[in-house]
Amino acid sequence: MMDNFLKLLKGEFTRLIKYNIIQISFGVTLIWLAVIYLIGKEQAGAFIPTIVFVDTALMTMIWIGASLFYEKQENTLKTLMVTPSGFGAILASKLVTAVYVALQSALLIAIFAAILFDVVVKFVPLVFFVIVITLVHTAIGFVFSIYSRDFNGLIAGVGLYMLLFAFPTIFYALGVLGDAAEWIFLFSPTHVSFIMINFSFGETVDAWMLVVGTMYLFALIVIMFKWIIVPKYALSSVRD
Amino acid sequence: MEKLFEVKDLRFKYRKSAIEAVRGISFSVQKGEVFGLLGPSGAGKSTTQKILTRLFKDYEGSIVYKGKDLHEYGNEYFETIGVGFELPVHFSKLTAAENMAFFKMLYQRNADVDALLKQVGLYEDKDRPVGEYSKGMKMRLNFVRAMLNDPKVLFLDEVTNGLDPKNARIIKDMIKAFKEAGGTVFLSTHLMNDVEELCDRVAFIKDGEIVETSTPRALKLKYGRRELAVEYYENSGTERKVFNLDEIGNDETFLSLIQEKTIETMHSGETSLDEIFIKVTGEKQ
Repeated sequence: MMDNFLKLLKGEFTRLIKYNIIQISFGVTLIWLAVIYLIGKEQAGAFIPTIVFVDTALMTMIWIGASLFYEKQENTLKTLMVTPSGFGAILASKLVTAVYVALQSALLIAIFAAILFDVVVKFVPLVFFVIVITLVHTAIGFVFSIYSRDFNGLIAGVGLYMLLFAFPTIFYALGVLGDAAEWIFLFSPTHVSFIMINFSFGETVDAWMLVVGTMYLFALIVIMFKWIIVPKYALSSVRD
Repeated sequence: MEKLFEVKDLRFKYRKSAIEAVRGISFSVQKGEVFGLLGPSGAGKSTTQKILTRLFKDYEGSIVYKGKDLHEYGNEYFETIGVGFELPVHFSKLTAAENMAFFKMLYQRNADVDALLKQVGLYEDKDRPVGEYSKGMKMRLNFVRAMLNDPKVLFLDEVTNGLDPKNARIIKDMIKAFKEAGGTVFLSTHLMNDVEELCDRVAFIKDGEIVETSTPRALKLKYGRRELAVEYYENSGTERKVFNLDEIGNDETFLSLIQEKTIETMHSGETSLDEIFIKVTGEKQ
């Protein structure tokens, strides 16, 4: 099992490189770095958590969606599922690569900000929360992929998700929405993710919020994998 | 012969469908034979193959493989089978060699990939991205993919689909060689030429039900006419007479005809599998 997982992981990285997903992700990170540099030291502290949040949560959904779209189009999951790998190992390899892409970007931005602008970064919480946030948004990307007929459908799903969950959080972060509305956003996985990223960049956050938020995101991950992704993803991929 | 698969009262329904795609079918596959599951599109062939290859697990009925329920097998089952899908199943931005290397490393047993690529005529193109391949090349690569783990059982779905006659011949010869070496083949197809040449036994499936199971020869005898049509030269032209096979030895007209006339052609009333397909399934291909 472990042996095949490592082989699948190697194959998944090869695939993401050949399909330019890792390179494009890295390119987006470089754009973020340029944006941060241009924003300058004064504003960087406020904008960096938002950039890391957008990259970790929203871009993750798009990367995994693109990756799964290619896989659906080329019927490759079908042929993987008749190997001795096991569906669990196949899923795990996709999750690990998604986490890698998100971590690479978040850490590069954090290191760049810390060195250039002395931005406070709590690296251990950042790594932990990026992993949790990536897992939950990867799961959301899987769910969109299952229910989308094509890539346009997937992008429409991600757009709808952003409209419902991400934009209110971004508006809140930019001060457009008041504090009174925050408790509503706590039901949004995206807003919980944003709180976690803010904490990792030095903002004071109540410990209970982080604990409950982590448990909430883990619960969402379990629910989505147990009741949607595991039973439906393979089926949706093997149907002609 | 040893039964490799014993399928009893197999039923399967897609989640959003009101009707069953497979409706209580039963059949067995003997070790070392080429078993053909034939039928029109949407009859349930590919669904049955997906159940046997464990892509669909929520079926009713029983499938016994080598004396053990299919549900009881773990991933080791996949070490013994090779699956050739109807559509190309490759990473298009990877070369053929990279595709095969990736899938090959997932198995404990491996075939000689270069030899397989040479056999199907793809060795010279193995370093090209599969996205640049023609459909025929992709289908040949599908066959190599199915053979990667040196399987004991091959599941092939429309294996010669999109191949020109020359390449279809190569694949059919490889299937014959696989069988000669003791392999078992489960072939889903609607191409009767393949069936005629490859299958030891066939089952016709229509609307999810098996409507006929037999050998191609027995089916031809069953659905054919017991007659002989003779065309012979007479009066500066071709004449034709049909004789009943059961009484042909005592038929004076026939006997005098073959002694006295110039025979141009003689055809028994044996029917083709194409005609049997139409009769049994009620559909034209």
